Amino acid sequence: MEPNETKAKDLYYPLIATVVNVESLTETEKRFSIQLPNDKTLGHKPGQFVEVSLFGFGEAPISVCSSPTRDNPYFELTVRKAGRLTDKMHLLPSGSKIGIRGPFGNGFNVQDFEGKDVLFVAGGIGLAPLKSMIDFTLDQRDRFNRVIIVYGTKNPAEILFKREVESWQQRRDVEFYMTVDRADKNWKGNVGVITTLIPPLELDVERTVAAVVGPPIMYKFVAMALKAKRIPDQNIYMSLERRMKCGVGKCGHCQINNSYVCQDGPVYNYVRVKELEEAI
Amino acid sequence: MQSKTNTHLQDLDYLFFDEATLRQFIVYLQTRAEVIAPHAKGERSYMYKPVKDAKEVVLNYPRTIQPLKKFFLPPTETLLTFKLSDNQYVEQTPEPGKRIFFGIHSYELQAILRLDYSFEKGNPESNYLTRRANALFIGISYKPDAYHFGKSVGIEIEKTDGFSLFIEPMENGYFIFIVDEAGRTLLEGFQAPQTQALVFEQQEKEFHNKIKYHHNRLPEVFEHAYHSDVWKDVSQRCLGCGTCNLLCPTCYCFDVRDEIELDAENGTRQRFWDGCMLHDFTRVAGDEVFRDKLHNRTRHRLFRKFKYITDHSGELSCVGCGRCTSFCPAKISIVEIINQLIKDVSEVKSI
Repeated sequence: MEPNETKAKDLYYPLIATVVNVESLTETEKRFSIQLPNDKTLGHKPGQFVEVSLFGFGEAPISVCSSPTRDNPYFELTVRKAGRLTDKMHLLPSGSKIGIRGPFGNGFNVQDFEGKDVLFVAGGIGLAPLKSMIDFTLDQRDRFNRVIIVYGTKNPAEILFKREVESWQQRRDVEFYMTVDRADKNWKGNVGVITTLIPPLELDVERTVAAVVGPPIMYKFVAMALKAKRIPDQNIYMSLERRMKCGVGKCGHCQINNSYVCQDGPVYNYVRVKELEEAI
Repeated sequence: MQSKTNTHLQDLDYLFFDEATLRQFIVYLQTRAEVIAPHAKGERSYMYKPVKDAKEVVLNYPRTIQPLKKFFLPPTETLLTFKLSDNQYVEQTPEPGKRIFFGIHSYELQAILRLDYSFEKGNPESNYLTRRANALFIGISYKPDAYHFGKSVGIEIEKTDGFSLFIEPMENGYFIFIVDEAGRTLLEGFQAPQTQALVFEQQEKEFHNKIKYHHNRLPEVFEHAYHSDVWKDVSQRCLGCGTCNLLCPTCYCFDVRDEIELDAENGTRQRFWDGCMLHDFTRVAGDEVFRDKLHNRTRHRLFRKFKYITDHSGELSCVGCGRCTSFCPAKISIVEIINQLIKDVSEVKSI
């Protein structure tokens, strides 16, 4: 009998991309600018992620931190040293080759924020995925009404994107608030967890749409703070972290109840988050 | 050829083979393709493997230890090979050789049909589809033991969907039913001895292991099962070993890992079976484990079998093979879990 050939999409083969720039952001985070082969653009939406691979060290999902409005010819990833693959990534000089699959996930739907007061709530490294959406908003500033950024880190040494943060602080069309859980001797700003920044905000609750990204522990408390401001559930979006190993809805690791985060997420409306009992 | 018997196999043409003829038929099939069939492994265990000697094929067996999925989604599979020095890789694709799976029970093929759904839908996966497109199945009926519960999940012993031929063993030989055209073609090439003019009569085969509700009502039971005490009760006994995942014919979760050879230059990216019952299944880089508690993992496993995938596919993802129960080191019974959930639901309703 003659064998049948079946050709479907090659799901697990990465493109070999080039690291064109590496920038240290903190002691544990670096920003990588990456160029795909043949000047191909990534074509991502804000909030999407890619699977990064280094042969011999494996593959891991990393959020894209640059906006698609700026991804030509490079896109950017911010990577925290947190394991074998990311430790090795931190040793890479520019010019190194890395594997990229993606982009994957739904990302933020820009239309949901259009014409609205956009409230970004970023905790810790959650600012990286959120920055793709923040930059998008600022690059097409006319499409949005108020832009409010609330950012919290554990301590001043962990502040990411200092250059960008400074420009957000200076821009008159951006309202920027920041806090640290623990101050150092040079810190002059707010001290306290991120939820302390939300009650003082003056918000037009019907007009405000929030995008929230942070460590797993943060979501419940931010949701409570936003609900205390009477922001409707459907105006809150959260990007959830899970182990998105394959990125194509097969391997099962990222599943929350009946939802594959790599397919239906990582961005979920809060109405859906409440249905998913394991979500936050 | 005989035809038109008065049972639910009644629409199928059939032949009758004696023992020797059936073994000759296996030898004939080996001239057409690789033949994979159940074999004894030790005294009371069974495994599927390629046939070397047709006499060694076992036709009367309760179930194999590992399910048939291992031939479509291998326990470990090389996705690509790479060299560390230049960060380049070579794609690895499966050899698309024809394979005939011989002596397969209905629940096992139904499990493959459920894997088809998972690997064809959304992002179709070429490795799986290539292996699948090159497979033919010859079924056989079986006598249920204390663990089989196929009928309770809607899979009768003689369910022939997906088979090319289906074998019904009798005292003095085997009826061979022709299910599809591929099966007819296989038989036409075989110089079968003159068939005796026997008339097939259905034998009654009883399931001893039963879910209390009709399978149509199980999604409804799982609508109310999320906060049941059953999960915690079961996790008191569960060891969290993941045997139920690995031996489940419809579980397909996997992990991917890079292996480097001793020359510190060549390596392979390997996919291997993983299981949602294992503690670190959901662990992320920050060391958060999203289903940290054993009872949450037990619940997740059962919901994947009876609700999460079913909501999309319309089919239960449990096929009633009984492996998760018969091979569980803690003797946890999936049927008992479901019957307890049914009891909970019916008690709530009667209040």
